[in-house]
Amino acid sequence: MSRLHGQKRKQTDSNSPAQSLTEHERVLYNVIRSKQDMGIWTRDMKRETNLPDNVVNKSLKVLQAKNLIKEVVNIQNKGRKHYMAMEFEPSKEITGGAWYVDGNLDTEFIQILKEQCTKQIYKLKVATLEGVTDSIRRSGVLNVELTKQQIEEIVKALVLDDEIIEVKSNGMGEFASIPVGKICYKCIRKGSIGGEPKTGAMASIPCGVCPRMRQCTPDGIISPQTCVYYSKWLDF
Amino acid sequence: MSKTSVIRITSSQEFNVKQKVCECLLRKGPLPLHTIVRYTELSQMQVKNSLLVLIQHNCVQAYRIDETGGSQSAPKQSTQYLALFDNILHRVRFSKFLAIISQEFDKLCVDIVEGLLQHGRLTLKQIVERANSSHKEGNSIGVDAVQENLHKLVMAHYVEHCPASEPFLASPTEEDAPARKRGAKSAKIVIESEAIEQRVLAAAVPMEARRFSLVMDSELNDDGEKDQNKSPDKHVGDKRKLDASEPDIDSEAAENQVVLWRANFEEFIRRLRHKDCIENVRARLDDGAAIVLSAMLEASKTEEKKVKTASSVPLSVNSIYEEVIKSEKGRNMTFDHVRAALVQLSSPPPFVTVADESYSIDFKHIIEAAQSEEVESIVLKRYGRDAYRIFRLLSKASRLLETDKVLSAFETFKLKRYFRYYIFEKKETIKILYKLWQDDYLLMEKLVVGTATFLLWKVNKLVLWEHVLDELFHAALNLSLRVAYELEQQKEYPSFQDLISAAQHHLEDFPLAQESSTMQHPQPFNWKCIGPLRKLTLSNSIVMQQCPNEETWGCGGHMPRPPEVFPRLVLQARSSNH
Repeated sequence: MSRLHGQKRKQTDSNSPAQSLTEHERVLYNVIRSKQDMGIWTRDMKRETNLPDNVVNKSLKVLQAKNLIKEVVNIQNKGRKHYMAMEFEPSKEITGGAWYVDGNLDTEFIQILKEQCTKQIYKLKVATLEGVTDSIRRSGVLNVELTKQQIEEIVKALVLDDEIIEVKSNGMGEFASIPVGKICYKCIRKGSIGGEPKTGAMASIPCGVCPRMRQCTPDGIISPQTCVYYSKWLDF
Repeated sequence: MSKTSVIRITSSQEFNVKQKVCECLLRKGPLPLHTIVRYTELSQMQVKNSLLVLIQHNCVQAYRIDETGGSQSAPKQSTQYLALFDNILHRVRFSKFLAIISQEFDKLCVDIVEGLLQHGRLTLKQIVERANSSHKEGNSIGVDAVQENLHKLVMAHYVEHCPASEPFLASPTEEDAPARKRGAKSAKIVIESEAIEQRVLAAAVPMEARRFSLVMDSELNDDGEKDQNKSPDKHVGDKRKLDASEPDIDSEAAENQVVLWRANFEEFIRRLRHKDCIENVRARLDDGAAIVLSAMLEASKTEEKKVKTASSVPLSVNSIYEEVIKSEKGRNMTFDHVRAALVQLSSPPPFVTVADESYSIDFKHIIEAAQSEEVESIVLKRYGRDAYRIFRLLSKASRLLETDKVLSAFETFKLKRYFRYYIFEKKETIKILYKLWQDDYLLMEKLVVGTATFLLWKVNKLVLWEHVLDELFHAALNLSLRVAYELEQQKEYPSFQDLISAAQHHLEDFPLAQESSTMQHPQPFNWKCIGPLRKLTLSNSIVMQQCPNEETWGCGGHMPRPPEVFPRLVLQARSSNH
């Protein structure tokens, strides 16, 4: 995946087909270009240039054919047609950042990263953000360069998954090598990595996971006596 | 909903009248006899008898107050009756209480406690009679043996003297009312009723020295009859019948030598609370830490004034070490090992706080963490993993931000930024937020700034915890109704032998169904025997006992076992002659 090699700016074309544009096309092209890596929505284009619809549409086709502009997916509004000058790469706002590919969340990539981070933190027992980043880089597992901020996003997601816990160092015991007050991360489960959080008591019975608890009454249409979830649970 | 659900759970057909009286008291608060008669539309005799039984079983406490109003010179005293909600609730926990006793003491002690739980209150004479009546063959059990075992239970505080039958309650002063920030009228009523209950209980409880005094009755000379006014006359095996004596007695006259004993629910709950803390620590850290924590609990439990205490008394490392080596599991731990465990326990996030070389357990933290885990587990199983993450995010945010204040606009923006930051997809996020809000797991507020409208979301723990508690009661009620239904259907259950074979077969495939601390990987298991096992439990043919993180299944039991909530299922078969 070319995305994994990072996002670079492409070189501007020196031999510019821009010279053979009509006036309308030029106006449109300039507007699109002025938005740089944010790009612009067709309706905004029409508003800014005050050009009639059919002119805009025709010009867009021409510009695209000449490889001067391209259509990009705006993650915030996938339904809208969004255009950008060829020389720019879509900004993080548009693409959703490193975690999106073709407008969709790259769950596989994220999952791999999460597992790697958890492994490193488990190995280190207690790790600061810098520690995790270094550890991952040194392990050479990934063929892509990730920034500290990207690792931070993964780590925060792991905290939410209850795989690791965020604490402040007190400088003692296992935190001895970490300055007091610095944020660091520990693994929660001492056993396997990537296991499920422990199921609570309530969640182990049908009522705990029932989407119809509110409607359930002893004598109602939905009741414990007639509950299909209970029947299934007891019968197997 | 919750309180009346509890009554339905704990009562059965024969107790309808008592159920009515109970419900009346729970709904309306403490009332005098004639008012109860009026509300329940029962006869005075029925209400009186119900009250006697309820008092006998520690579900109601009577007390006297000055009757205000009127221009009489001498203030009249009247007797009111207060329903003890917590004690009523404890009735579904009786099998758990018995399990605690059977782990710590021998069979005779278990019998004694079983009797106390069945009958509510007993004298020593009655305990002896009961013990002998259930031992038809062989030797009768001597008074000495019973007394000795009763001693053990009283020393451990599992059994206590009964409280005063009708303590006098002075009128409350201004300072007595606890200050709380909840302003709603209904909240005020709740606070008032809690305050009354606490005051009544405090007035009724015997002084500490007397409460667990080992002085036994000098009776066994037939002084039992003096007791007639104080408590209903009972014969062993005839636990619900009463005589028609008046319940209003002068407690001063009850200065007789007969001691009435009852189970001390407080101690059982404390023990369960401790067990839970130990298991939580074991799951988060390791066995060593659990042993040390257990020792700390043992050493400091006599100093615990109330059950819901926030932290234990501080202990030095030496006193902790001394307690550790007393226990069977901790016998081989070295001083350094204990010290290391203490460091581990006090490292962030700390279960134990350190101050001046003294360690005290932070109950508040351990329990809050366990409660959060329970609620998050519900969210995970009911709404999915993404909802779980969003819920945890908002819970943490609510902790960082002041929970009592509304989210300010600035903090809203921070939250919006968090959402993008945490790799969520926007549309899905909104859907989940709405679903959680609809089911009362989140609070939502609309903030209008100019032409833009922002939605603010937060988790309000105070409100949510009440809601989850309600759901727990509802689930408990459902479980008990389903049990009753299944029994009515009288479906056929597999024999216990069939189940043992099935369980053993299961164990052959997965031999690691043992102490959870030795389990390396979660085991998949044979679901086929789970259903029948559950059915058997619900039909009371087998007893479910709890070991750390396991269920073990055994045969037997005299008392009907109320349904239990099933923890994670790992099977270990026990022999049929348990």
